[in-house]
Amino acid sequence: MNAVVQTAPLLEMRGISKAFPGVRALDGVSMTVHAGEVHMLLGQNGAGKSTLIKALYGAVHPDEGEFLFNGKTERIHSAADARRLGVAVIFQEFSLVPYLSVAENIYLGREFPSRVPGLVDHRRMRAEARRLLDSLGMSELDAAAPLHGLGVAQQQMVEIAKALSQNARILVMDEPTAAISGHEIERLFERIRTLKSAGIGIVYISHRLREVFEIGDRITVLRDGRNVAALAPLETTVDALVRLMAGRDVNSAYRRQAAAGAGPVALETRALCAANGLRNATITVRAGEIVGLAGLVGSGRTEFARALFGADRIISGEARLNGEPLPAGPAGIVRRGVGFVPESRKSEGLALIRSVQDNLLVSGLRRRFPNRWYRFKTAAGAAATLIQRLRIATSTPRRRVQTLSGGNQQKVVIGKWLEAGSRFFIFDEPTRGIDVAAKTEIFGLIDELTAGGAAAILISSELGEIASVCDRAYVMRDKTIVGELRGDELTEENILKLAMHHA
Amino acid sequence: MPESAVAQGWSPRRIPGVAYALVGLGMFFSIFARGFLSAPNLVNVGAQSAILLIVALPMTLIIMAEGLDLSAGAVLGLSGVTLSLALVQGAPLPVAFLLALAVGSTFGAINGLLVAVADIPPFVATLGTMGVAEGLAVALTDGRSVVGIGSTLPALYAGKFIGAPFAVWAAVLTYAVFHVLLYRTRFGAYVFALGGNREALVLAGLGANRYHILVYVLGGLLSGFGALLLTGRMSAGHPTAAIGMEFDAIAAVIVGGTRFERGNGWLPGTALGVITVGILKNGLNVMAVSSSLQVASIGVLVIAALLVDSIRERR
Repeated sequence: MNAVVQTAPLLEMRGISKAFPGVRALDGVSMTVHAGEVHMLLGQNGAGKSTLIKALYGAVHPDEGEFLFNGKTERIHSAADARRLGVAVIFQEFSLVPYLSVAENIYLGREFPSRVPGLVDHRRMRAEARRLLDSLGMSELDAAAPLHGLGVAQQQMVEIAKALSQNARILVMDEPTAAISGHEIERLFERIRTLKSAGIGIVYISHRLREVFEIGDRITVLRDGRNVAALAPLETTVDALVRLMAGRDVNSAYRRQAAAGAGPVALETRALCAANGLRNATITVRAGEIVGLAGLVGSGRTEFARALFGADRIISGEARLNGEPLPAGPAGIVRRGVGFVPESRKSEGLALIRSVQDNLLVSGLRRRFPNRWYRFKTAAGAAATLIQRLRIATSTPRRRVQTLSGGNQQKVVIGKWLEAGSRFFIFDEPTRGIDVAAKTEIFGLIDELTAGGAAAILISSELGEIASVCDRAYVMRDKTIVGELRGDELTEENILKLAMHHA
Repeated sequence: MPESAVAQGWSPRRIPGVAYALVGLGMFFSIFARGFLSAPNLVNVGAQSAILLIVALPMTLIIMAEGLDLSAGAVLGLSGVTLSLALVQGAPLPVAFLLALAVGSTFGAINGLLVAVADIPPFVATLGTMGVAEGLAVALTDGRSVVGIGSTLPALYAGKFIGAPFAVWAAVLTYAVFHVLLYRTRFGAYVFALGGNREALVLAGLGANRYHILVYVLGGLLSGFGALLLTGRMSAGHPTAAIGMEFDAIAAVIVGGTRFERGNGWLPGTALGVITVGILKNGLNVMAVSSSLQVASIGVLVIAALLVDSIRERR
């Protein structure tokens, strides 16, 4: 009995499954964490890493599977349960409060009581925070400073200190190096080594693959919500890991037929820099082409799209649409024939409580009714034509867009731009939350549009989609373009290699 | 190690805005409004500001939690009517006062439930309860003042303690309680978190709803307290006397440096903001400016405060 207890891992996740409407986020995932090890959790966007971590701190409740702590089954209903079981998480989106001090943030929910009942002993709390920060080598942080005055890197340190202050036995780090650099990363790694020697088990998520070989002891790779590999850094290489993560996208049943002959240049940017952080982006898109914009979350894809659409200010560089400079601001850009299919179609792409017809016509009113009078017959005719052309499944054009399926909603967004006369489309994650059949239809539509001479930029987190749908693709990392892939080079694996940090 | 700026509620970087306005207005009225700088008038400013401060303190917490309470004035009116009616019926002052507090905190709890649990935007939720409270107050009184409340309350109100009127002491004491509450208790830290990062509370295993509701309950409770002072001052209960007070309170909070985003609040600023609004109204009164133009000038003050903010940020 005793021997069993001693060899039992700190944490064992067994057969964890979780389904969301339309997606199987986790499908029988297992993973163990031993005392004193750094267990790297790897996978593409959407592989299931975040869902697994959320299940571990009680934000998501798995449909199946169990958590064993030191060999004992435990249930995790809430963040409080997780904390009680010794789980602490360093969140990528910080769990910090801007207008509290560093010390108050570290001990939020665990304030030190003063001798006067009901009050908090700030002096003791600050002293304790000071000791903690010093022991972590964060001497430059002032425990009394308000958090909102700190930079991102310093806030990251506070987030780390907060997690470590909980005396956790299992520490989850979700991209802890995303916001810090250079010697700060070195110091984080030193701290991790200290924690290891103290017998703490660490789950470490990162997109920077070289970190795997710097501090990882074991590796678990997820793909499409399943375990695909469990191995040690010595047994593998960066290339092998990328292959494991890439796999073959089971969802992309669609294959682009034949790349249409590329026409004249539709869009050209040269060393484009924007106020939102985009830097030095140079691309060319020709009429008839579908050009992918790939990269991990935060790599700058959305920033690029927003800058192109005039939603964020361009600081320097050049952008030309059909040979002429891009006008400033979305209104002018729409008038020049650019349509933007946004990532969040429900909040940015559609007026949910309005009818299919209203949504289809809203961007093209100026074109359809040049003398400013709205004519119901014309409107109904235009809407009916679009509904037929796009095969939108709706009982009547008067139906609220809200009640349509995701795929049909997306078709309405596309229809809206057709009605506006767009010849250049920017699709930002057009198939998010859409079932496989509808995905194929959407891609078919994009194909049709470009076959008719329009040009399209396709932004997607699903690298398989980019590889199978696009003629060419640009890969982004750190808010800039890091490479272009065309022809046979355009594979999921090559995209992933460029998109990840490894050099 | 210096004392924490945050823990002390002391944020020197923000003093200037509201302090300049306060000193500027004070100097302006001292020069141009005859009789402004007299002792009786200044005591008057204090007494008038007292009720406003009592409403503005919980309003600060509500706004920090990214909320709003439009019902504050109407609930104060309804509590006052309740208080007066109870006194007219012969209830002792403490009992009548408790009734007023109960009415106020009930409305506060309803606001809190609507906002935190039912997830109704605060503007709409409290606009609704404002209508309900205002309507009830008028219905209970047929729109007339409730007179014959006896002399205990007016006498209490008129009383002076160590040279300052009862209302001023009540306001100072309430400020002290709120200052300790916001900067010295767990609850205070959680109020900062409600607007700053609600998720942080959930992740800390605390849950956010109960604190969110409590913030609104405090608002209602303090409206009940304000009703005691207002009824004492007027020696009667008037159903519509406090209408529009939420406007002055929100204005004072904004002028004092509290913002609707990220849990950015500053309680001493609210006190300064209340005095600024008080001086502005009183000074204009002394100069015989109409009350509608007084409202307009408060509006200008609020917009000026936010404009200065936005210009500073853009730099």
